[in-house]
Amino acid sequence: MKKLALALIAATALLAVPASAQTKLKIGAAPYGLNAEFMQIWSAALQQHPAVKNGDVELTVFDGRYDALVQNDQFKTMVTQKFDAIIFVPIDIDAGATGVQTAHDAGIPVIGSNTRVNSDLLSAYVGSDDRISGYMEAKIVLDKIGCKGNVVIIEGPIGQSAQIQRLEGNKKALAECPNVKVLEDQTANWSRAEAQKLMENWLTAHPGQIQGVIGQNDEMALGAIEAIKAAGNDVKSYAIAGIDGITDGLRAAKAGEMTSILQDATAQAQGAMDLAIFYAKKGDYKPESEIWTKYGKDMPWNDGKDKEYNVPWTPVTAENVDALLATRK
Amino acid sequence: MSETRSRWFTAERRRTLIQEYGIFLAFLILAAILSVSNEFFLTPGNISNVLLQTSINGVLAVGMTFVILTGGIDLSVGSVVALAGIVSASFATTSSTAAIYGAPYPVIIALAVGVAVGVACGALSGLIVSYFSVPAFVTTLGMLSAARGLTLIYGGGRPVPALTPEFRWIGTGHVLGIPAPVIILAIVFGLAWWTLTRTRFGRYIYAVGGNAHAAKTSGIDVVRIRFVVYVISAGLAGLAGMLLSARTGSALPQAGIAYELDAIAAVVIGGTSLSGGIGRITGTLIGALIIGVMNNGLDLMGIQSYYQQVLKGALIVGAVMLDQKRSYGA
Repeated sequence: MKKLALALIAATALLAVPASAQTKLKIGAAPYGLNAEFMQIWSAALQQHPAVKNGDVELTVFDGRYDALVQNDQFKTMVTQKFDAIIFVPIDIDAGATGVQTAHDAGIPVIGSNTRVNSDLLSAYVGSDDRISGYMEAKIVLDKIGCKGNVVIIEGPIGQSAQIQRLEGNKKALAECPNVKVLEDQTANWSRAEAQKLMENWLTAHPGQIQGVIGQNDEMALGAIEAIKAAGNDVKSYAIAGIDGITDGLRAAKAGEMTSILQDATAQAQGAMDLAIFYAKKGDYKPESEIWTKYGKDMPWNDGKDKEYNVPWTPVTAENVDALLATRK
Repeated sequence: MSETRSRWFTAERRRTLIQEYGIFLAFLILAAILSVSNEFFLTPGNISNVLLQTSINGVLAVGMTFVILTGGIDLSVGSVVALAGIVSASFATTSSTAAIYGAPYPVIIALAVGVAVGVACGALSGLIVSYFSVPAFVTTLGMLSAARGLTLIYGGGRPVPALTPEFRWIGTGHVLGIPAPVIILAIVFGLAWWTLTRTRFGRYIYAVGGNAHAAKTSGIDVVRIRFVVYVISAGLAGLAGMLLSARTGSALPQAGIAYELDAIAAVVIGGTSLSGGIGRITGTLIGALIIGVMNNGLDLMGIQSYYQQVLKGALIVGAVMLDQKRSYGA
């Protein structure tokens, strides 16, 4: 009922705006690439935003194809076509600043989402702090092994902001357990197949010694699980954690094989969309996504005035996993 | 020096001997170094691991050998791995969202579909290379892009999870303690060895790669040979794609990226000439094993994977350098 009431209020507010503002807003979304599940959920969430569904906003999604140069060119396109606002997920923290500058010079507001960019010209940023997730997943692994024993860390591509910050969080948790030894620590470039090979070789190099696996994303944790199974070991005797809450990760969590920390792509996308509309309408807008009521005081809207919105992480548990899986149908 | 001995030791024969056994020697030295420096390297479990980790690249490299022997190249195998992997998986999944209508089908149908997808890609590439005489580099570069795109379209960019245990068996099963992918590689290799060394078709492949013009004048259907090698390569890529998804438990749309490079590396390290006509399938197998052993050994010793890439690069160039020197320099 509360949602319905909110939607009604939002609808009335929309009807009340003067006729001049009824022309559609053109909003562009520039995610770094659409080949992996997370960014697909993110893009789908944008399409599901109330303002896009009811036609107030005309949304165009540009696939950045994992190339900073492609993204910069897309910014130029959006400037030429006079977009009203841009939602930006940069592939590179530094290279992305050029695009933001281009849009800023043309007077187009840019909202950051999911990954950071080194620019103070962003109107706002909606994302999740990777240091927190890195800490949470390592803590879960360490708690499960009783703060002693041996763990391995499987890292993302060295130098990417998520890898750097998740490692920072991993190390913070590890510092709290001085009796835990990190036996191996290598990158598998977010890839399940690479992590599987790595873990197969580590299980050989350290027979019977590994108790915990800290995977910096779900894909790599899943690769480690396959390696453990292939070696004929009982996956449940290991403490394994990953980050992101991709569908396969949720399934493995449901089976009790690992813990995943859900990164809420929907909240990052729809939160950024609300802010993009807010800035395009120069502040004359109330947010329409239900994510603001979902998180309530954990992520307050604050009249759109904040520079940074931190979407909370949600550990996937036996209690919430079915509901999360249901959203992936 | 006797008359017979000098004939036996022709430059040609010496070259092939060094080519074949040189790389084998390099492999033995590498294995010896690793077994001394790491206590686990020579354990049965680890040997089984190395073979398992070599199996997918090995299957791809066998197909790549056929193509390179004709003087061609197949850059599309990594993308075909992903496409065949995901299409076949959709016939072998119990997930209601990712399955094709009526799935899961019996494993044999899923396997046939995967190979058929590969064969179809290869037939298209082969037709364009052989009949329309478009350079293989360009044709398969186009296929690399198109097959990846088709993979993303087919699966909506999402993985196909929850593969049936029967399908997963080809990646995770064992026969008499030997991993199933290793057995599959052995069969593929055996058939390839027999084809290249014991059949007329095999001799024609060498002839086409050595001198296409001469092959044509002597009555070999060059167009047909060129067509078939791409079908073989992509068909094996289809098989490799199924091995990969069966092994990881889920068919991923981003699977197989850059796998063509490892396959080409194995062929080149194994002494096959990129200009065609010269090379052995046994060399390719050793080349694939060298890459697998190197990755495994460096992982065992806890060395960052970045070094592995540098070493592999040096190995590829080094192998060809030696080959060039022996062929033309000495």
